[in-house]
Amino acid sequence: MMTNMTQVVIALVAVLLAPAVGALLQGIDRIVNARMQSRVGPPLLQPVYDVMKLLGKEVVMLNRTQILYAWLHLFFLMLATALVVLGQDMIMILLVLAVSTIALILGGMCVRSPYSRIGSQREIMQMLSYEPILVMLVIGIFLTNGSFMARDITLAGKPLLLTLPLIFFAFLLVTAIKLKKSPFDLATSHHGHQEIVKGITIEYAGPYLAVLEIAHWYETALVFLVLAAFWATNWKIGILIAIISYGIEILFDNLCARLTYQWMLSHMWTVGLGLSVTNLIWLYWK
Amino acid sequence: MVSWLLIVLIAGPILFGLGILLVPARELRVGLTLAAAGVTAAAALFLSRWGPAYGEIHASSHALPILLDWLMIAAVIAIGHFTRHTAVLVMGVVQAAMGLALEFLPRAPQTATQAAFVFDQLSLILVLITSVVGALVLVYAVGYMDRHEHHGPQGQADQGRFFFFLTAFLGAMNGLVLANDMRWLSAFWEATTLCSFFLIGHDRTPEADHSARRAILINVFGGMCLQTGWLVAVLKGNGDALTTLNQAHTLVPLAFLAVAAMTKSAQMPFQSWLLGAMLAPTPVSALLHSSTMVNAGVYLMMRMAPGYGGSRLATVIALAGAFSFMATSALAVGQSNGKKVLAYSTIANLALIIACAGMSTPLGYAAAFLLIVFHAITKGLLFICMGTIEQAIGSRDIEDMHGMMKKMPFTTVIAIVGMIAMLMPPFGVLLGKWIAIETAVHSPVVMLMIVLGSALTVVFWAKWLGRIVTVSYHHKYTMEELPPVMSGSMLALGIATLLSGFFAFPLFERFIKPLARVMFPLSSQTDASWKMLQMTESFMTWPIYALAALLVGSVLLMFRSVHDGKIRRPFMCGENVTDGQLSYEFRSIMDRREVAMSRSYYFASIFGEESVTSWADPVALALVLSLFGVIAI
Amino acid sequence: MIGCVDRSPWIVHYNCNSCNGCDIELLACLTPLYDLERFGVLHVGNPKHADILVVTGSVNHRNARVLKNVYDQMPGPRMVVAMGACGSTGGIFADCYNVLGGVEKVIPVDVWIPGCPPKPEAIIDGMVRAVQLWKANPAFQPQGGAARMSLIRRPPASAARPVTPAAAAQPTQNEEADPDGRQSS
Repeated sequence: MMTNMTQVVIALVAVLLAPAVGALLQGIDRIVNARMQSRVGPPLLQPVYDVMKLLGKEVVMLNRTQILYAWLHLFFLMLATALVVLGQDMIMILLVLAVSTIALILGGMCVRSPYSRIGSQREIMQMLSYEPILVMLVIGIFLTNGSFMARDITLAGKPLLLTLPLIFFAFLLVTAIKLKKSPFDLATSHHGHQEIVKGITIEYAGPYLAVLEIAHWYETALVFLVLAAFWATNWKIGILIAIISYGIEILFDNLCARLTYQWMLSHMWTVGLGLSVTNLIWLYWK
Repeated sequence: MVSWLLIVLIAGPILFGLGILLVPARELRVGLTLAAAGVTAAAALFLSRWGPAYGEIHASSHALPILLDWLMIAAVIAIGHFTRHTAVLVMGVVQAAMGLALEFLPRAPQTATQAAFVFDQLSLILVLITSVVGALVLVYAVGYMDRHEHHGPQGQADQGRFFFFLTAFLGAMNGLVLANDMRWLSAFWEATTLCSFFLIGHDRTPEADHSARRAILINVFGGMCLQTGWLVAVLKGNGDALTTLNQAHTLVPLAFLAVAAMTKSAQMPFQSWLLGAMLAPTPVSALLHSSTMVNAGVYLMMRMAPGYGGSRLATVIALAGAFSFMATSALAVGQSNGKKVLAYSTIANLALIIACAGMSTPLGYAAAFLLIVFHAITKGLLFICMGTIEQAIGSRDIEDMHGMMKKMPFTTVIAIVGMIAMLMPPFGVLLGKWIAIETAVHSPVVMLMIVLGSALTVVFWAKWLGRIVTVSYHHKYTMEELPPVMSGSMLALGIATLLSGFFAFPLFERFIKPLARVMFPLSSQTDASWKMLQMTESFMTWPIYALAALLVGSVLLMFRSVHDGKIRRPFMCGENVTDGQLSYEFRSIMDRREVAMSRSYYFASIFGEESVTSWADPVALALVLSLFGVIAI
Repeated sequence: MIGCVDRSPWIVHYNCNSCNGCDIELLACLTPLYDLERFGVLHVGNPKHADILVVTGSVNHRNARVLKNVYDQMPGPRMVVAMGACGSTGGIFADCYNVLGGVEKVIPVDVWIPGCPPKPEAIIDGMVRAVQLWKANPAFQPQGGAARMSLIRRPPASAARPVTPAAAAQPTQNEEADPDGRQSS
């Protein structure tokens, strides 16, 4: 058992390191996208330059509460990162992530902007699409290891990809939603800045948009970590899997058109849930 | 001392209620109501702080409960006759017949010394909720009914009747959760049904009458099931005690009691009465139909949990609860009427409690406890906020609730607190859901339905919260004018929600888990479920609190730096009207001014009442019938 | 490093009465062949996210108000780039009754890009010049006025007419002063 001081230090280091990882991943993302499109692309640290620029812009807003929701979104993501690194209960981590997304949704709805509100409604639909699958992922991990704590993820001795293959595919679908990539970049797209004019984030400007961008770095880092955790017994292979999955996401981002939220909802609740439930049936039947 | 306190808690409100009925002057009535609220709450708090953990009251004769019981049956028959409700009349007659049979059936000799009232931790929690939350709702009702438009043809007399039933109900509910003798239980059960009938029909409009008829139909059916279970228990030699039913060797009475509980808690397929009851004035909804009366059903389920634990009956109960949870959450997504959303959300939470109780694990039992407590406080708060909002804007539709932060900041903030308490950690309701998901791991179908239901609950809360927090920039806010009874009760419940929410986890560890251990002694459980109970101890709460404090502090600082110069208008492709009052006006064709509005998604075709009930009611009915099927066949 | 607009200039594009030729050329700059993104330029959808407002077309009475709205919603530091002959002076439409004659009649402009339509290379050149303005002047004024460069020789501006938003808000003044629609010096 670690002492409280060690826990605080570990949590702080993770919270400071995760956005760096996320920014790097996004930088690589943009370059790979560009090369896929036969372009040169921006420099590797472009996401950092973007955030730096946003931090220096004039502060404008529509009402006071926008500030609150942007910060809530970021803080709960930081909290989720800290909890993950400290190996805490995974369902609680999921609930904290849900709160973070709800804060973003409220941020979109608290302003009287039609684009923003549509973006929020779509984000609610996205949450409805992927929440059950994430919970089933955690249940699958519990059935493999016998524990809900993230630090017990290697308790069974075998990598999760072998026991949860179908859930891995379902999670790839969820990753597309979380990373805001096609075909599921409805609420606010990673690259498509025009889709409902950037949806939820439309009325955020300057430093508060920077807050949302940094939050997205955290999200990227967390998604990458979960992908790597599918082979937690050997982290090198895990990172390789994560890189390959990320590459697949980028590929599909460039191949697919953006689809409607009705398609997303029906697809996730049939294909995604179907895959997850089948996998869980296998695990229950052992 | 305990017996005196219990008598105060049960008979006190009823006597106050009679006083309110007989007193003509409004001020005296208000005074009596407030006194009733104060006395009941004080007695409950005193009992919880300085009372023992367990107590019994023995009665020498059964005359009083029998009298009360027959009074209730007579009232049911009278209502059935005077409202020309054949089904109720028939059921009343059947109940009378069963009552006669019960009068003359011999009882086994060892059952002669059963206590009339039993008081333990489960009863204490419910007494506390009823008395404290109920007292606050009573206080609120005084202010609300003053402004309520439908005073009926008799005006003042109607108010007297209204407050009589509302106050007497508190006593009946307290009596229900304290009763051990089935005579008392049955009498108070029917008493709550009758209170509900008169309160729902208070406005005397055709819709209110129709809803009252529906409510009494389903609740009398439940009362009949309760009496049938009692009859079966007596026939099997159990006597009239509720607490010994758990040790009986037959599950049949428990199955009947389960059906009675499900009707009282408006579970599927019996949910229509609660939806109709939303037509009643809001204090009725807040008191009866969210925090107290519907809790009677789940109380019964929890009381019987050690009895059916581990059996196939428990499995069906858990399945029925989980299915109800999923279906009513789906129904709530399709509703735009605020009170109906709250009603479906209430049913969903009660269903979750029943599912937790049915899972027969100590952790599940503890989760059910947690949910009962926090749901009652939070839902009561939300309903009274809904009442204030409805009176202020004249509409119950969620889509009309924008811009409330300017018109009524106080109410809006308290409503937001209530909704966050239903939705976010570390508040109790979410904690309960978290534990429910974890403990449901061992019952896959139940787990699947709980997961889907949880995802759906987030949808409708997020939509509603988003609508309420919509506000344009205003330089300063002015508090709205509210009568002190209304704002005081809202503030008190709001603070109670916040405080209990923040300390939900320590409360769970210190008070609720020991209760679960008492109810589920070690010998009857496997190691796995106890290990899970211990897992929750290692959860760290300090990150959440630290971050919350940091957040609140920094955001308040940032709020102060916002001034007019920083405010811009929403993006409307440049067509904003810059000289108007509203920031969301734009110029459309012919330079006409239009207001940009957007509604939330409701999916009436998928989540609407007709579509969902068409498949959910039959499945729920099949589950209710299975309650009997799995133990008989 | 904070506020390094020169490394990440985001553009928002507004079409004021343009024939779409300039718009197509601007979009062509974002395609792989010319690739503005290597300078960090992102084409965003709304003014609140943007640093540079690229305006095409000769402004007319109807959309002067809209252009002003879009400009007002941009947070500082912000720049305006007027594209094409129409954006600079009104182009071949300068004599029309509804045309105001160039973006600077409504909002202050920092960079003019000549051409009808300008070639993508010229557009890239203009963007780079715009970016260099920030590098040249770290204390860049939010109102887009301090150091301005033009790529064409502007017709002599009327000295009595200050190019501030307040004055620019009365676009009809010009019309009444000169019935020919030609700018007087």
